Amino acid sequence: MTTPATIAVLGLGNVLLGDDGVGPYVVEQLRARYELPDNVTVADLGTPGLGLTAHLSQAEAVILVDAVAAKGEAGELRFYGRDDLNRLPLNPRVSPHDPAVQDAFWLMDLTGDAPREVLVVGVIPERLTLGAGLSDRVRCACEPAIEAILGELARLGACAAPRARPGVPDLWWMAA
Amino acid sequence: MARITVDPITRIEGHLRIDAVVDGGEVQKAWASCSMWRGIETILLGRDPREAWLFTQRFCGVCTTVHAIASVRAVEDALGMEIPLNAQYIRNLILIAHALHDHIVHFYHLSALDWVDVTTIPQADPVKTAALAESLSDWTRNSDKEMKQVQTKIIGLVQSGQLGIFANGYWGHPAMKLPPDVNLLAVAHYLQALEFQRKANQIVGILGGKTPHIQNVAVGGVMNAINLNSLGALNMDRLYMMKDLFDEVIPFVQQVYFVDAIAIAALYADWFDVGAGVKNYLSVPDLALDPASTKFDLPGGTIFDGDLASVHPITSSRDEYFRKGVTEDVTHGYYEGRGAQHPWQGETKPDFTDFQDDGKYSWVKAPRFQGKPMQVGPLANVLVGYALGNELMKKWTDIALAKVSEIAKRPITIDKMHSTMGRLLARAIRTVVLSELALRHWELLVKNITGGDSTSYRAPSFPKGEVQGVGFHEAPRGTLSHWVVAKDGVIANYQAVVPTTWNASPRDEGGTPGPYEASLLKNPVADAEKPLEVLRTVHSFDPCMACACHTLDVEGRTIATVKVL
Repeated sequence: MTTPATIAVLGLGNVLLGDDGVGPYVVEQLRARYELPDNVTVADLGTPGLGLTAHLSQAEAVILVDAVAAKGEAGELRFYGRDDLNRLPLNPRVSPHDPAVQDAFWLMDLTGDAPREVLVVGVIPERLTLGAGLSDRVRCACEPAIEAILGELARLGACAAPRARPGVPDLWWMAA
Repeated sequence: MARITVDPITRIEGHLRIDAVVDGGEVQKAWASCSMWRGIETILLGRDPREAWLFTQRFCGVCTTVHAIASVRAVEDALGMEIPLNAQYIRNLILIAHALHDHIVHFYHLSALDWVDVTTIPQADPVKTAALAESLSDWTRNSDKEMKQVQTKIIGLVQSGQLGIFANGYWGHPAMKLPPDVNLLAVAHYLQALEFQRKANQIVGILGGKTPHIQNVAVGGVMNAINLNSLGALNMDRLYMMKDLFDEVIPFVQQVYFVDAIAIAALYADWFDVGAGVKNYLSVPDLALDPASTKFDLPGGTIFDGDLASVHPITSSRDEYFRKGVTEDVTHGYYEGRGAQHPWQGETKPDFTDFQDDGKYSWVKAPRFQGKPMQVGPLANVLVGYALGNELMKKWTDIALAKVSEIAKRPITIDKMHSTMGRLLARAIRTVVLSELALRHWELLVKNITGGDSTSYRAPSFPKGEVQGVGFHEAPRGTLSHWVVAKDGVIANYQAVVPTTWNASPRDEGGTPGPYEASLLKNPVADAEKPLEVLRTVHSFDPCMACACHTLDVEGRTIATVKVL
């Protein structure tokens, strides 16, 4: 595999809805604690609709971090590639939130700018109720999630190194 | 008789549900409901009002900027603050660019495929498609070569049996009427639109620092450092980068989106007779032109009973007509109590029951203006502007209606705008108006900066005791208002009355339905299993239940899409 020219690590989820904020939490930790090669961008995208395509189209490889509604215990990790996403049905789109991750990839297939490498690092949430902050089980899943991202980056030829002086992650929504 | 439930559980929670009873090929009664608690404002209680915008920006991942700006406006209103002119212009440019992006996405990617049958495209003739396109518009990307390329892509999809992004349409539905050439043209522009909505969003990024969550807003102005010669600041380079992007997006809006909306409206002219619903309209003034926010480029006001002569202006957020007019009724919402309260007194105490046709059935409260349901959105914005004699609104509305009438070969007048198609056409009219205002506000900003003003922020100060304010914004989906009460510098109450709560409002204490519910009465339904026509009317409002969460559903449940009982 040739090394992708650009890699995006994208956190998805609503930081005001409990464990749905796991994506933003993980990417902020990653950004604060690791020195990443210049071709890697990290972003907290919140809960985008088709706005996602703008961020996906700029990268040859993407790693998405998101809460996933999968069978299993809260805090377990699940990994998905593009083939897994392709198997998901498209649902009716009523509001601009409804186009899901798979819709964004389908759309980009049509325009020819879909990233060629896709990994979803999914975390099974415990609660998605109103309130900022993660449940204990999901917080414990964040270190393995970061390890998984670092592993994928290494596979893509982008080696991250721990910062000599780690920064403080910008988790403004967690402040009391 | 059949009962249809459209219930897309794509995000598990926080979505819109529509129920309709269909008999004799028409909807006889409808309910609009939201399935998630909307008390997200309670997260703000006890916080510093200067930080509220950071949180409100996360209410909705699609309309981030609008909630940020409405929030700082609410706090500034509570403090009676003026903000620097540069801050007004910069905010206006962000709001315009966001709206251009959002309206383009709505038309092409969220609603066009209700009217355009992708599966007929293999029968289209790309040469005739290009000739048709060139007869309608000067757009440079309508060549037969371009059309042929798009057709080849679609033929590939259709032959593979994998329709990809088009997999979930109601293809071959009897309500689909466009000839294959028009369908091909629309899908060619659907693909081009992806490119231009991104460019519009890049403008938001240049000013806001990042998208989707802008970083530059503050109570008291914006945090953009302005220095024409400094690399890190808002300088000439960035101003012209922004202008170049507008110069690409504006022709797309004027020569493609506006033209396509007119063509679809004319070819489906019978949809000007469907979906009027609530003919009371509310819109607020926006694009402020002075530090005190008393002069605006877009006017606001109310219209009752569809009578344009009844128009009553809303002059600013200080206008008591607006401040006192708004209430929220919880009779049919999953909240404690009955009746209506003003947002500053509003409570958000959940009282969940099941879906009860005649009882509580939605997490949306029922906003009312002077006790009446109001329709908000581009149609309200256009009609109020038209009725108040706003020059740009009048100009573009008259152009659109003349062109639609010419193609439809029947007169489509302003009174036909109270309809499903009127809402779609009004959105295109508003977008083209905003595309003209974009350059005007860019010029105002550049002129003000080159005139020597580099101020963009004034620090707020909070008095002891209680203050209350309202901040509004005429957002892409309509009137948005944030209502804040601060006591000794911390938030004591916060209510966001968002556009979709006006439109998706449930019935109120008097049993009067909200705009979605009313607009669906008599809506045709050819096949209850495939309620395409219901989606047309619902989509025409551009629904957006704020506060979505983003859990990826990997089990691939196909999901109570449409249920006929």
